[in-house]
Amino acid sequence: MKAKNNSIRLPERLLISRSYTTSESNKTGSWRYLMPRYYEKTAPCSVACPAAEDIGRIQMLNTQGFFKEAWDTILVENPFPAVCGRICFHPCEKVCNRGRFDEAVSIRALERFVADTAQRYKLTSGIEPMAFTGKRIAVVGAGPAGLAAAHFLHLLGYDCHVFEALPEPGGILRWGLPRYRLPLAALQPEIERIRNSGVSIYCGQAVGRDFLHSAGETYGAVFMACGAQRMPLLRIPGEDLPGISEGLAFLCSVAQGGGPGFQGTAAVIGGGNTAVDVARCLRRLGARAMIIYRRRREDMPAFAEEIELALLEGVELLELYAPIRIEKEGNGLRLTLQQMKIGAMGADGRMRVVPDENRIRELTVDQVFKAIGFEAAEPWHVPEAGAVSHLKLRQAVLTQGANSVPVVYCGDPVTEIQSVVHAVASAKEGAMALHVLLTGGTAAVAETLAAAAVGPGGSLSMEAFLKGERLNRSSHVVAYEEINIDHFQYAPRMIQPRLLQAERVASFAEIDLKISAGMAIREAERCFNCGLCNQCDNCRLFCPDLAVRQEDSKRGRRIDYDYCKGCGICVVECPRNAMVLEEEQDS
Amino acid sequence: MKQVLEGSHAVAEAVRLAKVQVISAYPITPQTHIVERLSDYCADGTIKARFLRVESEHSALAVMIGAASTGMRTFTATSSQGLALMHELLHWSSGARLPIVMAEVNRALAPGWNIWADQTDSLSQRDTGWIQLYCETGQEVLDTTLLAFRLAEAVNLPVMVVLDAFFLSHTYEPVDIPSQAQVDEFLPPIIPRIQLDPANPCALNQLSPPNIYMEMRYQIHLVMQAALSELEKFEGDFERIFGRRYGAVEPFLCQDAEIILVTSGTITSTSRQFVLDQRAQGEKIGVLKVKLFRPFPVEAVRGYLKNARKVGVIDRNFSFGAGGIFAQEVRAALYGLARRPPVFGFIAGLGGRDVTLESLGEILTRLKTLKRPDPESIWIGLQEVQLAGPKS
Repeated sequence: MKAKNNSIRLPERLLISRSYTTSESNKTGSWRYLMPRYYEKTAPCSVACPAAEDIGRIQMLNTQGFFKEAWDTILVENPFPAVCGRICFHPCEKVCNRGRFDEAVSIRALERFVADTAQRYKLTSGIEPMAFTGKRIAVVGAGPAGLAAAHFLHLLGYDCHVFEALPEPGGILRWGLPRYRLPLAALQPEIERIRNSGVSIYCGQAVGRDFLHSAGETYGAVFMACGAQRMPLLRIPGEDLPGISEGLAFLCSVAQGGGPGFQGTAAVIGGGNTAVDVARCLRRLGARAMIIYRRRREDMPAFAEEIELALLEGVELLELYAPIRIEKEGNGLRLTLQQMKIGAMGADGRMRVVPDENRIRELTVDQVFKAIGFEAAEPWHVPEAGAVSHLKLRQAVLTQGANSVPVVYCGDPVTEIQSVVHAVASAKEGAMALHVLLTGGTAAVAETLAAAAVGPGGSLSMEAFLKGERLNRSSHVVAYEEINIDHFQYAPRMIQPRLLQAERVASFAEIDLKISAGMAIREAERCFNCGLCNQCDNCRLFCPDLAVRQEDSKRGRRIDYDYCKGCGICVVECPRNAMVLEEEQDS
Repeated sequence: MKQVLEGSHAVAEAVRLAKVQVISAYPITPQTHIVERLSDYCADGTIKARFLRVESEHSALAVMIGAASTGMRTFTATSSQGLALMHELLHWSSGARLPIVMAEVNRALAPGWNIWADQTDSLSQRDTGWIQLYCETGQEVLDTTLLAFRLAEAVNLPVMVVLDAFFLSHTYEPVDIPSQAQVDEFLPPIIPRIQLDPANPCALNQLSPPNIYMEMRYQIHLVMQAALSELEKFEGDFERIFGRRYGAVEPFLCQDAEIILVTSGTITSTSRQFVLDQRAQGEKIGVLKVKLFRPFPVEAVRGYLKNARKVGVIDRNFSFGAGGIFAQEVRAALYGLARRPPVFGFIAGLGGRDVTLESLGEILTRLKTLKRPDPESIWIGLQEVQLAGPKS
């Protein structure tokens, strides 16, 4: 080649670097010292849920319109989605990572939507129980704990007979929860599903203490799930006067037929959900209702949202008043109340209250309702104190009864919090423990249950216990900082449609209205699906080396380690932390 | 067909007639009218091209590189800061031998912020391997754009069509828009020499070690030199079809001129009038317009300037610490001639300041009075500046 200005000929071929050798001959995987891999982790909501519901996966299924699959995913951990979707205090939502981004996902409303959809289309669960073990188990009490125990024991291959003293099953769900929170039409199909799965429920069949001795002749084990129904005494003068009733008995009579019309003024003593329920039922019957509570509103054990709704309905709240005396006055009752004030912080972390000198207030009402918590109705409903043979679990107690028949105590008397979802968790733990005990002995219980734990909170997964796919996940709980929020857009939390405020006290109709499938899908799409792969394909799209390959498998893709350099981009761009980058192991 | 057109739209009409296949650009004053018109044409189907929106000029040129590597005829446009942002990929385009055509509207670089005419933006990219063609009128803008595609695709080097901000980009002039048939005759569809093909996959522009890199660069040098004769050849074709010709340089009354002004861009038009005025008063002066800056037309410049008594180069640009960039090139071109005129460098019109007949009169006076050129440039029209605000 020679340069000459006037008559330069253009070269025939371009001199550029161009290679027809495939770049696949350069196996860049040999450069790798960090290795990405798919590794699903644990979402904080599923840890906070006492029933360990697989919430991230449920929402993923909801976004795809797979409502039946979402329903089955709930049922394996909790037989009461229509109930919990309405009345659960949703600890899951408090820890939702989305809450740090904009607002928590409305998990409870979605649970109700899934359950209502299953009921509307009369779906049957696709969960297959394990093979029949040949063993029959007696369950005492058909409340949430007893029914849940029967559900889980049935899944584990046992034949269950449930004995209920009252004429209908459901316990507190049927008799204690007002219809405007839990309509019978929502509860009934949940119970029917358990019954139809093969559980025998015998109503009007009270069992006595001697049953624990004779059960061994017929049953391989006994489940005690009697709940807590007896109200402790106020221990003040005048509490036995006529016109003073127990809150739960009142709710029960309302549940049976609407209860008596009531025009006067009623005082409700207590700060739990029962106190709030009683007051709200009284408003619906036409009464003026006052809740008298010895601490402050923020100290009330009742769910904050329920208190809020009660006040909107016209319930009055007298905070920091403790009743010290009740007397008859004409046709009514005179309450003497001691004004309380905030004292020091108690050992339990709650502020103590102490009398505010001699400040007294008197109040005349037509009726008084006591709603100050519950304890077991009979001493034999709870495990015998101090017995060495007890295996005390987190939410249940396992003992060897007479004739070496195992007895499991679950539900209110042994759970840390008296709630439906705790009763479910307790029944699940008891059922798992009993199954291990019967198949592998006492020594194996702790270890086997630990393997089914979801995160560090002690919630247990039946799916993991049954060696399902959840067992393959890391117990690492995904933190908000581990979510790649660049891949999410702000979207407000759904607003629960409700009856107009003016309509609420006019009847016992359910306050929370149905939501549409479109609304449910949009809400479910807000879920980060923390730690779970939802097939978004970011790992493949962002891989600079095309080292994430599509394949015809359940995951749909795999990492080609021949070419993966371990740059970690896939792990960073995974919006939901379903991957992990680890140091390469020497091979 | 003659139309009164903005310079920007003269570019757009040429791109339409060139049947460009891929366009990508990022808006920047004073270039925006070019791609606005083109995006309208893409949207309404007037031209069947893909218009790719991008987030920066760097990406716009990256898109051009990708598209040109698949054998497409490509076009982009930019100005000033936008061109500076493209710098890395300017080198890449030429090294990859891609025939990309770009309209570059000369605008001053910031700070201080200035959107007006100044050539320093394009001239500071002189070593990137792009052919640069400077235009004087709206008609020349349209014609040069058509020539640019023909030239780029013949030598496999990218070409910049350079036009002054506002004086050309936003000024309406009568422009003869040729027919599609005429343009098709001059500019047939691209026959790409680089064309990625999924059926026969290859990798482009990978590692080139010392044993080959130098030869690759030498070939670019050779084709850059060949571009001089290629341009001449294509201008012959162009004249035959359209009846117009420009030349790498264009002399105006240089034959007997004792003093020759060297200009580029729109300053040339004012200089033509100035020369006519001065000739009427007996001054023997002429103008040499430089259209082709890269490759620099050394032989042509020598031929027209060697017999002058004095040469004055007017630069609307400046290289700090050296001088006007055209002046440097002209001096270098004349160096080595046994008999050569002294070259005086003048700086005028930076940041869009008008270069008037009076400015040119001052230049002529200086040329007549000065004996020998100073290495320093002579700045025309500098004013006393009254500073306000705190002293610092």
